[in-house]
Amino acid sequence: MGELAEPFAMTQPAISKHLKVLERAGLISRDRNAQRRPSRLEVKPLLEARDWLESYRRFWESSFVLLDSLLDEMKTAKKKKKRRSDEVSR
Amino acid sequence: MKYPDSFQVTASAECEIRIERDFNAPRQMVFEAFTKPELVRRWLLGPEGWSMPVCEIDLRVGGTYRYLWRKAGAPDMGMGGEFREVVVRERLVATERFDEAWYAGEALDTTLFGEEGGVTKVRLTVLYGSREARDMALRSGMERGMWRRGTTGWKIY
Repeated sequence: MGELAEPFAMTQPAISKHLKVLERAGLISRDRNAQRRPSRLEVKPLLEARDWLESYRRFWESSFVLLDSLLDEMKTAKKKKKRRSDEVSR
Repeated sequence: MKYPDSFQVTASAECEIRIERDFNAPRQMVFEAFTKPELVRRWLLGPEGWSMPVCEIDLRVGGTYRYLWRKAGAPDMGMGGEFREVVVRERLVATERFDEAWYAGEALDTTLFGEEGGVTKVRLTVLYGSREARDMALRSGMERGMWRRGTTGWKIY
């Protein structure tokens, strides 16, 4: 933990607090038995979080491409309608 | 002309997801596309293969909405909620809850519509009750294949 604290302008108890939060969140694991209690970064949940957001993003992306086409269609329909009413009023 | 470059999805604050996108159309038109059932069911579909056999929107404070998505070989997905604020062409606030409660409680959706020189900026914020609820919603959606592109399926919000 001393090594982890080194690059930060933080007290060791503060670092310890942060590590506990990360451990509870499952983002790091620590060896309870070893004297030095080395921390290991748990990559899987981080990758999962990125994947969830990515798949959510794709849902919206696909939908918005459909919406672009629909809006184009609405604009064309509006122009046609306007043209028709212009012709009628003429 | 399309505006995919403006598209952004962020999980910024603890329990939020924010979706932003510009559309090359006046605000009135974009607002209609977001609130008229016959228009919503034509685009709020995700990837290919899904349809929206149920799309009901009672656009007034206290009014409800109901969406159901269907795809061959996949279980139906339903969700709905109630409008809390309706400011035509500007702002919508509504609750959202999926039929299968993946997360505790409801989320609150705020949709803002702003127009600049004929381009409409839409910002949708989904606010969950907690960070855990947000992460669970995202994870469950993906595990069910709802948000995956391809053969399995998807979902929304």
